[in-house]
Amino acid sequence: METLVAVDPGLYFWTTFTFLALVWLLKKFAWGPLLQALEERRATIEKSVEDAKKATAELQRVQEESARLLSEARTEAAGIVTRSRADADRFREEMRKKATEDAQVIVKNAEKEIQLETARAVAQLRTEAVDLSVSIASKLLRKNISAADNDALIQDAIGQFKRVQ
Amino acid sequence: MTDMSAVEPAAAAAADGKFNAADSIIGHVANTGFDHPIIHLGTYFGINFDVTKHVFMVWMVAALVFVSVTLMVRRYLAQSRLVPTGGMNALEAGVEFVRDSIVLPNVGQKWVMTWTPLMLTFFLFILVANAVGLIPIFDMLALLDKYVLHTSDHSFLKSLLHGGSTATANFNVTAALATITFFAVIIAGSWANGFIQHWKNLVPHGLALPLYFLLVPLELIGMLVRPFALTMRLAANMAGGHIAILAILSFVFIFTELTTSTLVGAGIGFGFSLPLAVAISGLEIIVVLVQAYVFTLLSAVFIGMAIHAHH
Repeated sequence: METLVAVDPGLYFWTTFTFLALVWLLKKFAWGPLLQALEERRATIEKSVEDAKKATAELQRVQEESARLLSEARTEAAGIVTRSRADADRFREEMRKKATEDAQVIVKNAEKEIQLETARAVAQLRTEAVDLSVSIASKLLRKNISAADNDALIQDAIGQFKRVQ
Repeated sequence: MTDMSAVEPAAAAAADGKFNAADSIIGHVANTGFDHPIIHLGTYFGINFDVTKHVFMVWMVAALVFVSVTLMVRRYLAQSRLVPTGGMNALEAGVEFVRDSIVLPNVGQKWVMTWTPLMLTFFLFILVANAVGLIPIFDMLALLDKYVLHTSDHSFLKSLLHGGSTATANFNVTAALATITFFAVIIAGSWANGFIQHWKNLVPHGLALPLYFLLVPLELIGMLVRPFALTMRLAANMAGGHIAILAILSFVFIFTELTTSTLVGAGIGFGFSLPLAVAISGLEIIVVLVQAYVFTLLSAVFIGMAIHAHH
């Protein structure tokens, strides 16, 4: 007859043997490969998450970099425009000043030339007037006067001429 | 086993023709005797190696666990992308639960891959062995044999019908499992700390000498009590639930005989025994899970204690 609590070494042996065999078989064919695969998948997922994080950080860095570059470029462009405008203004001012100076030089030169020409014309006129006066006086007098008289006459004529002038 | 008619053959077999609740219950929980084993193998070194019902159940459970787990895992690993489907979802969740919630917190990261296979096998083997006992397979086969097949008294099918189908309700089976835990603890401790150091770790260092006369025997007893407690807890829990269900179902026949009225028996059956037996069966489903979990968890705890001895 069966009893509820019976010492049964055969069952004890079979259970031990069967269970150890089951552990060995499952470890070899199921648990080992499965745990390995789970571990690999965990590593893959961890790596993917890490990569995604890195990519996000890189993207942000690139975005910040491009924003920085853009703003730098804007600043530089604005600087260039400002500088060009200033350069243009300065250049225009210089040109204007130079033109004014040139004009003044031209005017001065012209004045100087006019003065010179005038002086030369006056001197020429004076010489011609003297000659003419002498010849006129000679013709009028038709007489020889002393050298002293002649000289006095000449001086007198020049003096008159100077006054006329 | 939860089937009412299952109690019938035992009742009919009672010597005086009367229903004997104790014999009937024991007949449905205990192992088969060696007077009619399933396969006769003989006695060697004083040990009877005959394949009794519980040996058969241990084999059946082991085969069931091995074939189903290996098939699922192999099919899963054959995929190019490791995305679990169907039953593999549950298995993978179970594997990760055992690994991350039972083994890892106790044995630590370094030893988790070493001890997880054993713990997984403990958990699944005990779970399936417990669960198979809840399903009245053999009671159904008995009905089929009695009313349809009519096999001879010495047929293989008849020999399968004797004895309980919950191998984990047998102390010899749970003792064998607990022995494996016992040696696993020693192996784990020796592997991690060295064989001598493992035994030194049993007691704290630097105490007064007389204390060791007290502590060494206590720790040695403790070492043996742990697997003993594992043995008793699992077997008693599994046997207890079945005995309770069978006892409640026995009321049907006890009251039928007392009142000599089938109507009273049927009334007790449908009004009292059946609802209560169903409720206890529901409870048993939880017990089946909890006991598999407890055995595995405690084994992991003991192994962890041997690895991380902080004396």
